[in-house]
Amino acid sequence: MSIHTSTKQAASSSAPAASASGPRRIRKPASELWLRNITVGTVMVSIVALLLIPIGIALVGSFHDWNPLNGTFDFTGIDNYVELFADATFWRASANTLVFGILAIVGRVVLGLAIAYALFSKLSRWRTFFRTIFYLPTVMPLVAVAFLWKLMYNPQFGAINTLFGLDINWLFDPRYSLLAIVIMTIWKDFGFAVILFLAGLYAIPEDVLEAASVDGANAWRTFWHIILPLLRPMLFFVVITSMIGYLQAFVQVLVMTNGGPGTSTQLISFMIYDQAFVKYDFGYASAIAFVLLVATAVLTAASWRMNQSAIDTPRRRRATKRSEKRPS
Amino acid sequence: MKVRVFALNATLAVVGVIIVLPFFWMILSAFKSNAEIVGFEQSFWPREWTLQNFISIQTKLDFFRLFGNSVFLSVTITALSVYTSLVGGFVFAKYRFRGRGVLFAVILSTMMVTWAVVIIPRYTMFREIGLTDSYASIIIPAVISAFGIFMMRQSMDAVPDEILEAARIDGASEWFIFHRIVAPMSVNAISALSIFIFLWVWEDYLWPYLMISSEEKQVLAVGLTTFNGQYSTDYGGLFAATSLAIVPVMIVYVIFQRRFIAGAASAALKG
Repeated sequence: MSIHTSTKQAASSSAPAASASGPRRIRKPASELWLRNITVGTVMVSIVALLLIPIGIALVGSFHDWNPLNGTFDFTGIDNYVELFADATFWRASANTLVFGILAIVGRVVLGLAIAYALFSKLSRWRTFFRTIFYLPTVMPLVAVAFLWKLMYNPQFGAINTLFGLDINWLFDPRYSLLAIVIMTIWKDFGFAVILFLAGLYAIPEDVLEAASVDGANAWRTFWHIILPLLRPMLFFVVITSMIGYLQAFVQVLVMTNGGPGTSTQLISFMIYDQAFVKYDFGYASAIAFVLLVATAVLTAASWRMNQSAIDTPRRRRATKRSEKRPS
Repeated sequence: MKVRVFALNATLAVVGVIIVLPFFWMILSAFKSNAEIVGFEQSFWPREWTLQNFISIQTKLDFFRLFGNSVFLSVTITALSVYTSLVGGFVFAKYRFRGRGVLFAVILSTMMVTWAVVIIPRYTMFREIGLTDSYASIIIPAVISAFGIFMMRQSMDAVPDEILEAARIDGASEWFIFHRIVAPMSVNAISALSIFIFLWVWEDYLWPYLMISSEEKQVLAVGLTTFNGQYSTDYGGLFAATSLAIVPVMIVYVIFQRRFIAGAASAALKG
């Protein structure tokens, strides 16, 4: 560190003399401008070409009767939207997506946090081993996981009924079908949350935890009053990314139930896929997609605001704590 | 204390067993005959070990070709998008320019745009341009990663500006600073991002399914569905293929895992 400051001082004292044009800031080198322009340009072009233009096309398309097979592209006004809001399947799919999202996020966060905290505590000896174990499902291709669980849910010879002595027709009973997909999704995904929460836990300064144990706080109190507030940014990150991810969950439904039985496992994303690439009704699918985009944006913004308003209190508390500590 | 250590490790072990059970069950099932997999008498260990599933996957689908395709695409896309994320992260973390904040917010907000919204227009666009059935159609949309740029910027924010200034004064070019100073300091974030992107590309299903029509260019994730026949599923073949399909992702995980956690932290903690 001292080397850098001394170089900087030496340079800043010699720079005016060398340039002889009086004191001024060091001019940005051409290579910096070049690198910056290329990067920003590329990013902008790709955002426009791969996101903005497609969103525009989706919006325009949602007002059309659009079928790529026979080349139809006829303006129909808000017909698609009118039809959509009268479509019972759409409402069912919205409700399913919400239930699926909430259950999967809660399951992922609770399981992920519990395991991460257990691995973090100094008590566990085989941390690396367990960490890899819990990350295993995450590295399996989702298509394969969906097939695997489809077999495990089989009512006659499936592992789950056999193992737990149950008699449930998991995927073909509308009461359980969505739950079955949620369980599979949590199994596949929670390992990622474990890694992120572990990362968050390792980032907590050790003296904070030491201070808590010196003060005689037990593990439970430490967790609720110190660790959880400090983990808040990571918690928020996991919830937001899970939310965005689960709003577009699709492959598991495609493989395991194809939306059925009835409409019990219809999710919005699956409906979009089904309308677009099975029924080739691109216009209707675009209308659903656009509603999903707006819903995602609203939900994300709402979570963001909730997080911002909730973050104020603990941060202030921490700040005052720090200023109290400083004199000693 | 001893009791607590034991209790904790025992709990972890029990949960761990429940978690890995389906995983090992799948691998063991790859050595069972189909009759045994869907038989009424289930057992964890194969009653009769058979290699038939592994032998026949090559005849059921061109397994090694699809496997090779997936490896090629995953490695290419991971390398390209980690590099572009590094450059993007560097520019957004270390350069001050007008519109930087707005632009970065735009990049962040693109993470919210779900595939469901853009996939229909993208599909039509790529068909219009005539990019269907080409690897370019898989690679192009994946080269720039908003998540990657975000993650790299978070990580590079921690690199002190003084180091860069000192290097500039010593006459280092921007490329030198980027490649030899800042990029090596982001090795944790690079590790984590490599694991994420490799996995995403490896398991991606829908886009290759829509874009690639010729069988020999298809990726493994899509190929796995061919075991699902109209009337019955060849579970033995599926499990054998899946067991092998996991190997590359495991290798990538093992290579990068030592720095994985620290890298994942940089994605979220300083947001």
